[in-house]
Amino acid sequence: MPLVRRGTTPPPEPAVAEDRAHALEALRSADPDVRWNAARTFQNDPVGVVALAAALETEPVQRVREAIMTALMRIGTDASVKALLPYLRWQDAARRGAAIEALQSLPDAIAPFMSALLRDQDNDVRILAIELVRGMPAEQATTLLCRLLEHENHPNVCASAIDALADLGTEEALPILRACARRFAKTPFLPFAISTAIARISDTKG
Amino acid sequence: MTTIEGAFVRGTRVLVVDDSSLVRLYYRDALEKAGFEVEQAMNGLEAMEKALGGGFDLLVVDINMPKMDGLSFLRELRRSRTEAAAVPALIITTEAGSEDMQEARAAGANFYLVKPVSEEDLVAHAEVLAGRVR
Amino acid sequence: MAQSETADERAFHVTPEEVRRLCEFLYRRTGMLFAEDKRYYIDRRLHERIVATGSSSFQSYFALLRSGLEGEVEHLVNAFTVNETYFFREEHQLRCMTNDLLPTVLRNKPPNEPIRIWSVPCSTGEEPYSIGIWLMEHFPAVDDYQIEIVGSDIDTRVLAAASQGVYGTRSLMKLPPSLIERYFENPSPGAYRIDAGLRNSIQFTEVNLVDARAVAQHQGFDIVLCRNLLIYFDDASRRIAAENLYEALRPGGFVCLGHSETMSRISSLFRVCRYPDAIVYQRPETERDND
Repeated sequence: MPLVRRGTTPPPEPAVAEDRAHALEALRSADPDVRWNAARTFQNDPVGVVALAAALETEPVQRVREAIMTALMRIGTDASVKALLPYLRWQDAARRGAAIEALQSLPDAIAPFMSALLRDQDNDVRILAIELVRGMPAEQATTLLCRLLEHENHPNVCASAIDALADLGTEEALPILRACARRFAKTPFLPFAISTAIARISDTKG
Repeated sequence: MTTIEGAFVRGTRVLVVDDSSLVRLYYRDALEKAGFEVEQAMNGLEAMEKALGGGFDLLVVDINMPKMDGLSFLRELRRSRTEAAAVPALIITTEAGSEDMQEARAAGANFYLVKPVSEEDLVAHAEVLAGRVR
Repeated sequence: MAQSETADERAFHVTPEEVRRLCEFLYRRTGMLFAEDKRYYIDRRLHERIVATGSSSFQSYFALLRSGLEGEVEHLVNAFTVNETYFFREEHQLRCMTNDLLPTVLRNKPPNEPIRIWSVPCSTGEEPYSIGIWLMEHFPAVDDYQIEIVGSDIDTRVLAAASQGVYGTRSLMKLPPSLIERYFENPSPGAYRIDAGLRNSIQFTEVNLVDARAVAQHQGFDIVLCRNLLIYFDDASRRIAAENLYEALRPGGFVCLGHSETMSRISSLFRVCRYPDAIVYQRPETERDND
């Protein structure tokens, strides 16, 4: 029979960085696989945030960058969030996307930063912040999104907020949505988005 | 631009890729009214899986999406060495800068539009890129 | 009681927009997509869950779902997936394995290096045994290689059952009588036991796919079948599982997921490959271009 069962002795453990000093050095290795493994060993070690953040700044290989971001996500502290936030501003969509996905898994840690992010000067950052708002309970999310829509002028930011309201908004959002319909009557897509969101909210019975 | 009814090839298939369900709905309605067959994907990864199946005449792809952004998807598709690799692609960006245009071109986009896109613009560009109107 | 009856009835009349909200949530969260014509199917399962959770309305149920509490997402997904396991359940994946994946793997495999295949979660063992049977029946080069099949699960009870290798007629429903005769004993009516030779050639191990340390002991696989697991994970866990699966594969190795499952952010880890019988994800042979 060609099917072979290996002995019950497990194979030798691969070289996993046993102590922090070793891992820190491994993060600077010339070999991407070594850096990859090193990033993964920091998963529960808050002290690693500084080293991980520094490594993230200069890491050329995308999968190692993302492993570093995963490690920061798993540590999940205030410091991790601060290390990830700058990447919301990168030109590169892949990097922004990776950062936002890590932050989406940290609703409690990101909460203190939300108001500032929703008021950020950069349109893309406000749009990404709206993605984070989706992780909140419906009432809280609706309040934040309504507040944003009251003052928001950029059509794409409005579009994102309206989309989120369609998915989770409560009736509290109806007045602001109607006001937006008037403001953006001539803008492409927005009238459609607003009327769809209004219909979806109105038809969700309490 | 004039269009000639009846001269269209029936069943021109478009894959619409955007993480917003409202945007997908909006594009789908506009394109279906114009006679296209529309399929959807919500991120670049799903788009990759569908596009590789072949049979699409046009891709309409947003740039910013989770799991795999629009340009990464396009780059990956272009290097896939399948029939699907050469399908015309209309990229939808959020900015009008020339840098974005260059990046989109380099990734393999045939053309790009800036959000929010009107129904008329979408359909007109789709018809040209899918080769339905010369 | 009249009051709970009314609440029940009210909760049952889910509006079209409420269904759209639910479908959008499921699609975003799991990749499962339900067409408009599946409405009644959705209504029934949604109603079951509303009642099961004691929710007074769709809105309160939806709030519970979005909160991630009480594992409700998993319960809802369970309600929508067919969880029954049986032999040759995903025959198209097995075909893809012999028609496309193994030939690709073998092109670059050094002589004398075994072929390693991982089934995770293996549940009560139907899948790893199916792989073994399929290879012996359909893989022309089966005698030219050593083949190691490993089945893993987080649940030690199902692993124990898998090692025993005893199944009822329902599990065998897709197997032709010739294969049943060839690979099973029939110790008592309705009970079929995998032959000792096949039983003893599969290694069963306990593993949690989110635990990197445990996965580190599972390495060097050419093919991993990971069906019906990631669909239950949240995004964070999917991300971690994707990294662990990458780690478990040899360069050039393949991961097969189930129907309508989407992986995490994988563009940096895997190439999407679409074959006639399945969509699979391949760990690149060499490092990708740097971005």
